[in-house]
Amino acid sequence: MEYGVRLETPGVPPEDPRTVCAPAWQDRLAPGRLVAVYFGAEFCEHALPTADEAEAHCRSAHRHGLEPVLLTPVVTDRGLAAVERLLAELVGRSWTPSVVFNDWGVLGLLRTRFPELSRRAGRLLNRGLRDPRGPAGPPSPAGRAHRLRRLLADLDVAAVETDPDAAGGGYLGDGAGGLSRALHLPFSFVASGRNCLIKAAEHPGTGLTHLLGTPCPRPCRSGPRRVARADTAAPLWRAGNTVFALAAPDRGPWPRADRIVLHSRPAP
Amino acid sequence: MNVLAPVRAPEEVPVLCRAGADEFYCGLTPRFWAERYGGAWVHRRSPRSAGLADEAALARVVAAAGGRPVFVTLNAPSYPGDAIAPLVAFGRRLLERIGAAGLIVAETELLLALAEAGLADRIHVSSLATCTNRGAAAFFRDLGVARIVLPRHLTLDEIAHVLVPGVAFEVFALNDGCVFEEGLCATTHTLGPFCLEDGPGTEGIGDDVLEGYAFWKWTLNNCGCRTNRGYTLGPCGLCAVPRLRELGVASLKVVGR
Repeated sequence: MEYGVRLETPGVPPEDPRTVCAPAWQDRLAPGRLVAVYFGAEFCEHALPTADEAEAHCRSAHRHGLEPVLLTPVVTDRGLAAVERLLAELVGRSWTPSVVFNDWGVLGLLRTRFPELSRRAGRLLNRGLRDPRGPAGPPSPAGRAHRLRRLLADLDVAAVETDPDAAGGGYLGDGAGGLSRALHLPFSFVASGRNCLIKAAEHPGTGLTHLLGTPCPRPCRSGPRRVARADTAAPLWRAGNTVFALAAPDRGPWPRADRIVLHSRPAP
Repeated sequence: MNVLAPVRAPEEVPVLCRAGADEFYCGLTPRFWAERYGGAWVHRRSPRSAGLADEAALARVVAAAGGRPVFVTLNAPSYPGDAIAPLVAFGRRLLERIGAAGLIVAETELLLALAEAGLADRIHVSSLATCTNRGAAAFFRDLGVARIVLPRHLTLDEIAHVLVPGVAFEVFALNDGCVFEEGLCATTHTLGPFCLEDGPGTEGIGDDVLEGYAFWKWTLNNCGCRTNRGYTLGPCGLCAVPRLRELGVASLKVVGR
């Protein structure tokens, strides 16, 4: 098993990647080598790093012999232009991170403008249920998304990624077809969108709809907020525009993967 | 620019035609579904409240529409792998035997399977596919689909950027609203709308912010309004119609099936 870790700021990666998780999770994870550092934003175009921040991640990863992997979210055209500027800056500075795309427009950008960058299909392409309130969908432990994986392989995508969903793991497939498989742990996203309660808290008296597309001061940088709900005992967080749930370590079996990407806390 | 109206029963069609509906959409659950997949929804919405009773009802809707197109939703965000082939067969039957004009599809896997079956030009990409930029629109267009339904939470300027030639676009014009981005909400309304209870209990969010959030959600949820016949009467995009017409948007969607 190989590991990646999600870092919010560049720094010395842990020697044992499992140590970024709570002890209950560490015991469940097989030993393995850290091979990649993930950074960027999976859920919010306002949370994309600056070119300097991204370069610092790339430099740090390079120094430690690790693959830098830039996470990108679903984007508007403005966000797509921001991703393009960011990648152009990085490539112009001779950095070639792998890029996780969660948006078909970003994939198109990668194919046409940055073919030298390795592409990874992000977890938002898996639209399987992750409702923390209970089992809600029919399990589909084997054989989902054959055509999607074939399409991704045809488009020279290197890997497919997900977090745990309710269907039980068939989304990643069996590794045939040349696609590497990555599983993000221990948090699953629950719900995301452009109407951000954390951003709204910075603009009292302004309706959320009026905040669409406006600049964001990134109050989510201060970290995720715990969320308590009466209808579920699952540990929940709100990180920027996205609600996350902590998967229970004993809930498996987890999808078979070639790489596990560990997050110390939820981030947009 | 067409007005796309929801239909829950054939009897509604003449009324909607007189009111100016140019095209219709509805849900229909295949017979095999409940037996194989229990209470899971084949659509984004409950089949009990948002679907026609059976194929005969769809045939009556098509007949009553008098040549106006009728589209059928198959827009659950995700399906079990073994559901794809029977759903393709079901979709083909609706199109070729019953007279549906198109299928509204969200899941990429089902979309690709329908395209493989030669039905791409009868597909409308659901708003759940979260097409929010020109590149994504071009991706779906290049798969050969007929129409893309844009998500709710785009500004008019953002809509203007997304539109690409070679495919038609539909936008929400009346009723209903999701708090989160519908395509990025991995919860199900079978357990109740997750968003309605969202907000309270969030660490560090004060009562004043929560009050504003609750008010905003209330406006999305039709401000509690219904017509005297029980239909939802909610957020309205009437003032945007001239701009949408100018942009070349093909269809205005009325939510509420």
